[in-house]
Amino acid sequence: MNTNSNTYTVIYTTLVCVLVAAVLAFVSQTLGPKQAANEKAETISQILTAAQFGEKEHWKEIGNAETIKFFEENLAGEPVITSTSQLKALNYKIKDGSEDLELPVYTFKNGTIVLPVYGAGLWGPVWGYIALNSDCRTIAGAYFDHESETPGLGGKIKDDPSFRAQFAGKVIDFEDVKPFNIVKGGAPEGKQNAIDAITGATMTSKGLDAAINTWLKAYDVELAQFFAAISEETEENVTIEEETSDEQ
Amino acid sequence: MNSKLKETILNPILKGNPITVLVLGICSSLAVTVELKGALVMALSVTIVTGLSSLICSLIRNTIPNRVRIIIQLVVVALMVILVDQFLKAFEATYSIDKQLSVYIGLIITNCIVMGRIEAFALGNKPIPSLLDGLASGVGYGLILIIVAFFRELFGSGTLFGFPVLSAIGYTNNGLVILPPMALILLGCIIWAHRSFDKDLQEK
Repeated sequence: MNTNSNTYTVIYTTLVCVLVAAVLAFVSQTLGPKQAANEKAETISQILTAAQFGEKEHWKEIGNAETIKFFEENLAGEPVITSTSQLKALNYKIKDGSEDLELPVYTFKNGTIVLPVYGAGLWGPVWGYIALNSDCRTIAGAYFDHESETPGLGGKIKDDPSFRAQFAGKVIDFEDVKPFNIVKGGAPEGKQNAIDAITGATMTSKGLDAAINTWLKAYDVELAQFFAAISEETEENVTIEEETSDEQ
Repeated sequence: MNSKLKETILNPILKGNPITVLVLGICSSLAVTVELKGALVMALSVTIVTGLSSLICSLIRNTIPNRVRIIIQLVVVALMVILVDQFLKAFEATYSIDKQLSVYIGLIITNCIVMGRIEAFALGNKPIPSLLDGLASGVGYGLILIIVAFFRELFGSGTLFGFPVLSAIGYTNNGLVILPPMALILLGCIIWAHRSFDKDLQEK
């Protein structure tokens, strides 16, 4: 058979491509659910780490199923609030076609609220989760991840626990020019809404600072309303409890 | 026959090492050698890809139309790489490493070692020797990767496989070792050591 004829070449390449495509489609279909579960568990473990339920390694150790179970047991509903107008007012660019942008807020039964943030680092996207106490102002913890920041420099936003530890106990101030500050050269003594930037990673620190502030501002109004709703609920509960105790 | 097989296996690891002698696959060896764990997974992935694509290409070598043989090879290599990537993503234990290696798993497709071995060996040899040649090339590549990663993790982060070694005795991490230039310097040292050890490699 002449393997160099045009007809043979065309038929051969077509067959190879169809065959390879079929194999890939099959594998992708079979492994798809497992990959999705891994991705979900990864996101959840980042949220849980930010919310101070345990360190990242802990969630890896106990496995996907247990991590997701713990998350679902401790989650007090997953309110999704829409806030496009708020973002437009901040000149935040929104992709065409999306009328309402959904901003998820994860609330846990112990009162911790976790907000996702994302933005641009030096080499690629950076993202993370900020956990607030039930007053919606005090930061309980944070977790950040990145796609391609320099290891040992910008990569410290993820790898250096002491950077993340700075967030705990800080208080967001919406009256300030920037609700939260990552300050190059060190945060001023006693400033409640500022932490030290990473030495040698100015651009990553700036990017993270911008990401946090953009989203904190976007959440501001909604969080206030959200918090008001929560406090009303708890007050109602308290009054009901008081009444019942009176009856007894 | 036996000595020929032995030659097939040993040549890509020693005298014809893809990195230190052929100087192929340098780019990825700079990128994935920050930590031993990543380097090990990368080494295994490349070994599987070179081995299996050499095997498949050797099996179909007499049917491939000569004018499009590079394209067919590329399709086979791409298939293997995507399969490896999909499997790494699907298992809990390897998911985070796959995330860390990110694009470099996909970039195995462009690794000259894979195409080089198919073009130079698999297309002219029987399937079993081709498989062994591919696997050995991957091992030769992986060996250098692991040596470089050993030094970079030890002196860059003070750990080995994530366990504190030097950092436990108060070592201050060397930031330069974590960055890609240090991998190049280490590779240079390994090539130097290899060439002074094996006199046949030195040009007269």
